[in-house]
Amino acid sequence: MEIRFVLNRKEVTIDTDPLRRLLDVLREDFGLTGVKEGCGEGECGACSVLIDGELALSCITPVGTVQGASVVTIEGLRETKRYGKISDAFAEAGSVQCGFCTPGFVIAAEALLRTNSSPTEDEIREAISGNFCRCTGYSSIVEGIRIASRRGREKGSQA
Amino acid sequence: MKEKISSPVKRIESAEKSGGHATYIADLKFEGMLHAVTLRSPKPRAFIKAVILPDIPKGYWIVDRNDVPGRNRVKMLVDDQPFFADGVVNYVGEPILLVVGPEKETVVRILESIQVRYEDLEPVLTVEDSLDPGIPPIYESHNKFAEYEIRKGDPESAFMDASEIFEREYSTGCQEHIYIEPQGMTGIYENGRVTVYGSIQCPYYVKAALVQGLGYDEDRIRVVQTTTGGAFGGKEEYPSIIAGHVAFASLKSRRPVQLIFDRDEDIRSTTKRHPSVIVIRTALGGHREITAMEIDITLDGGAYCGLSPVVLQRAMFAATGVYNIRDVLVRGKTLATNNVPSGAFRGFGGPQAIFGIEMHMDALASHLRKDPLAWKQKHILKEGDRTVTGGKIREEIKLPEIIGHITRMSGYEKKRVGLKKSGVRALRGIGTSLFLHGCAFTGSGEKDKIKAKVKLKRDTESRVEILVSNVEMGQGAGTTLRKIVSTTLGLPIHDVIYDNPDTDRVPDSGPTVASRTVMIVGELLRKAAQRLEKTGGDEVLVEYEQPPHIEWDQELFQGDAYPVYSWGANAVEVEVDPDTYEIKVTGVWGVYDVGTPIDEMIVRGQIEGGISQGLGYATIEVMQSSGGNLKQGTLTDYILPTSMDFPDAESMLIENYYEYGPFGAKCAGELPFIGVAPALASAVGHALGVSVRQVPVTPEYLMEAAEGGD
Amino acid sequence: MMAGTGAIPLAGGTDLMVRHKRQGGLIPRFEKPVLFIGHIEELGLVVSEKSCVSIGPCCTYSSLMNDHRLPEVLRTCIRNIAAPAIRNRGTLGGNICNASPAGDTIPVLSALGASVVLSKVDGKRIMLIDEFITGPGTTVREEAELLTGIIVPQTKFDCSFYRKVGTRRYNSLSKVSIVGLMKVEEERVSDVRVAYGAVAPTVVRSRAIEEEIIGTPINDIRNLIPHICERYSDLITPIDDQRSKKSYRKAVSLKLLRLFFEHCTSKL
Repeated sequence: MEIRFVLNRKEVTIDTDPLRRLLDVLREDFGLTGVKEGCGEGECGACSVLIDGELALSCITPVGTVQGASVVTIEGLRETKRYGKISDAFAEAGSVQCGFCTPGFVIAAEALLRTNSSPTEDEIREAISGNFCRCTGYSSIVEGIRIASRRGREKGSQA
Repeated sequence: MKEKISSPVKRIESAEKSGGHATYIADLKFEGMLHAVTLRSPKPRAFIKAVILPDIPKGYWIVDRNDVPGRNRVKMLVDDQPFFADGVVNYVGEPILLVVGPEKETVVRILESIQVRYEDLEPVLTVEDSLDPGIPPIYESHNKFAEYEIRKGDPESAFMDASEIFEREYSTGCQEHIYIEPQGMTGIYENGRVTVYGSIQCPYYVKAALVQGLGYDEDRIRVVQTTTGGAFGGKEEYPSIIAGHVAFASLKSRRPVQLIFDRDEDIRSTTKRHPSVIVIRTALGGHREITAMEIDITLDGGAYCGLSPVVLQRAMFAATGVYNIRDVLVRGKTLATNNVPSGAFRGFGGPQAIFGIEMHMDALASHLRKDPLAWKQKHILKEGDRTVTGGKIREEIKLPEIIGHITRMSGYEKKRVGLKKSGVRALRGIGTSLFLHGCAFTGSGEKDKIKAKVKLKRDTESRVEILVSNVEMGQGAGTTLRKIVSTTLGLPIHDVIYDNPDTDRVPDSGPTVASRTVMIVGELLRKAAQRLEKTGGDEVLVEYEQPPHIEWDQELFQGDAYPVYSWGANAVEVEVDPDTYEIKVTGVWGVYDVGTPIDEMIVRGQIEGGISQGLGYATIEVMQSSGGNLKQGTLTDYILPTSMDFPDAESMLIENYYEYGPFGAKCAGELPFIGVAPALASAVGHALGVSVRQVPVTPEYLMEAAEGGD
Repeated sequence: MMAGTGAIPLAGGTDLMVRHKRQGGLIPRFEKPVLFIGHIEELGLVVSEKSCVSIGPCCTYSSLMNDHRLPEVLRTCIRNIAAPAIRNRGTLGGNICNASPAGDTIPVLSALGASVVLSKVDGKRIMLIDEFITGPGTTVREEAELLTGIIVPQTKFDCSFYRKVGTRRYNSLSKVSIVGLMKVEEERVSDVRVAYGAVAPTVVRSRAIEEEIIGTPINDIRNLIPHICERYSDLITPIDDQRSKKSYRKAVSLKLLRLFFEHCTSKL
């Protein structure tokens, strides 16, 4: 089946089984290996992407359901100025250890900050409650997102 | 100099990882690469009577025990574990064969149509079963991977003269690492050489296993670490098995072969933390003072020996914790069962032992109507005292200062006395723990087994490259080792190169385990940097030399079990729901002596991560076995802490310069995990007025403890 | 399209994609053809009428959890399902049709007296959610039918209670869940609803026991609590599983029941 969608701001079309996991389409067909498989069951969040600007898990999303939608992966997000602020904040707060969960957290942070530019600590924790980190214990990631929200109030960066 | 080095720097690889640029093993593609999927035993114990294969299409292969050119045994302490099951299976998940080919869909279709005929054998499911002479043993005639005894002083006399004997039993559960990046390896056979890429902690362990499995000379084997997404000990010895698998597969197919675990496969078939049962008997003298202790440790080693003897040793050396007990008998055994093999996991036997001794001191204090922390403080080791192995404490032990800080930071004293009610119904409690971790390998391990070598090479006029086999796995080694070299040479940190280790290029500086990377390897690098500067050459190799004062008898387990110890204290505050017994952690504090922190932010990361894992171990990470099957076999069912579960930890570091560590550093990676469980258990016990004797402390356990069984 | 094919309707797919997952990189295997319905606009609407609100089955949890047209207790329940990414794609219809004994919205919808609308090419039928779900994973939906609406009465209750006991503080499957609703008129209980999730093959709800309680003076409720607990005790039949033990689930169920009634009597 032909599936047409916007991927990282570019229109793309693929002909594939609509039940294929969006994760596999992104990693295999488009070479976007920044999107990770950590569990394949929608628990760990390492496969996080934005679909129509909202946080979603590509390992449990059939590619057929993104027909006509806009999908953003870490590869698309990292081209933006908003990303630069998140990345710098993460480095400053020590949010990155092994790094495997990090792109997923960056995507979750972006999903939060684009709708809530000055979140409370509780709001940050809830926004990342579906992303697992085994290295940091989350404190430094929460701190990184807090720093990013302070630094970047610019809106409207359409990804 | 000390202060300068501790100041945090921006972690070198942070930006690369944040942006999804870092290449992990599943991201690495080779031309003509094949997929491998493993057929695993569904049975805990059985003979394999027959393996019936379907027609295998061209371009697809079956790889099994017949395709092992060398020895079908994974190199460990005792070579009892096969790469592929050898006519018998001993745990659910044991690998029997691989199916390998270009289309994964076809590989799986072939796998699903393979029939294996088993003849069931009576499985050994518990450590009690393990000692039951009625069940045929799995390992040797006695099912004991190891059994040891350590004696200090004259415990027998002390027990005979005791005016009271206080005995309790404690147990700790199984835990799974859940590194967010599952296990994975890729093997390539080219021009007579095998190269294996993978997510690993110990390139040279993998190499040695391949030498044995392939029967090749060392120069025909190359092992390259790929950026590793978390390990915690789970990628210490386990990857040797997968390395063999992809090596044999690439040899047979003459193509690169990739093997990436699915998460539920990873949970069900990889190593786990040793479950333990610890019985402690304490002899009390005429004034109700402790005169002696007898500690009995039993570890469930699972189906194969692995590293169980060493885990047992560390547990036994930590059995009396931070206390100076005059007369001690420690007995330990690690037993074979038809469960998934137990293996290395942050703390490596230490957490189990510390849980036992801390809960016991807590219980003793309660029995003697004393405050636990004040009671514990009377017994702690001091400089000049002897450890349970008769080793000498050669440093000033900062525990009194540490205790002062933890009580102040947590408000322990006031909170311990007043059981206040918060909100509507919750019961509040606070508990503490004191703990230690022996740094690096036991006794003479560094000198006799590892013999670490490091190299420093000048790349250009101003750049220098670190060549060691220790890996960056999230713990910050890439940054801390660079910092040590750059500070010694006065170079900007970005002028120090450190790449993922490749055994073709790096000497064997030993495994990335036992919290030894900074203290041992970092110190060697510091010496190498000094020598490089002094000699003005292009390359320098430095070999480990044991500090002269260390004396250790590996046969009798007498002397200095470790060159030095790091120390710490935790406090944990909880609220327990009186109806559902759910535990809410409302505060957690940690104060640590790790010598000199090479980077405060990186050490803080280890503290926060270790505490989170420790709280998970203590409360929600339930891993149970039923008939040899793990009941919590997916990430939906194995409950990991999320950002909502635990509050920020408040921590503090006490400086205590260690002259044999780089810039005074001791060990830091495992220490923050070790004391968390007993501090939490003590807090819950305080809140409910019950004696908590096991972790994980689940609501189900608490309901029974508080209200009685049904 | 559905008749004769036994097609499986898929909206967000957050349950179906997990249940049918295979090894990494492989397409999930469904035993029947899959019909994507998540994009159909009419199935994603919320329509408020005088005495009820009609919720489209493809409404995502995220879109519903702050929609003030829904009863507060239903919104609270939805906020406690999984985590943000799942809530962005998972749907109310999916939760209902999955019919898991631990399905979070089902006991709440049952207590509210919600009905489901099943449509096929030549007609539709409406039934209470308690009639729709008959066992674990089992509904009376026919092959050619699609769940096209969930009708929730807008009854005002004076006291509402929802508690989910999970395996961790957030983002977890339920060990026990309870919803309690009470209405008091002239100092007597004029309506009461109690429903449990995760402690039996389907929702535990008893109109018979509820009717026994109706009419009782609110001041007498405290004395009645032990009797009420005993009545529910026979209906609560939990199991031992990887999440919890039956003894714990049963004991907690009855404690939470008591808490509900104590909450109402102290409030009203």
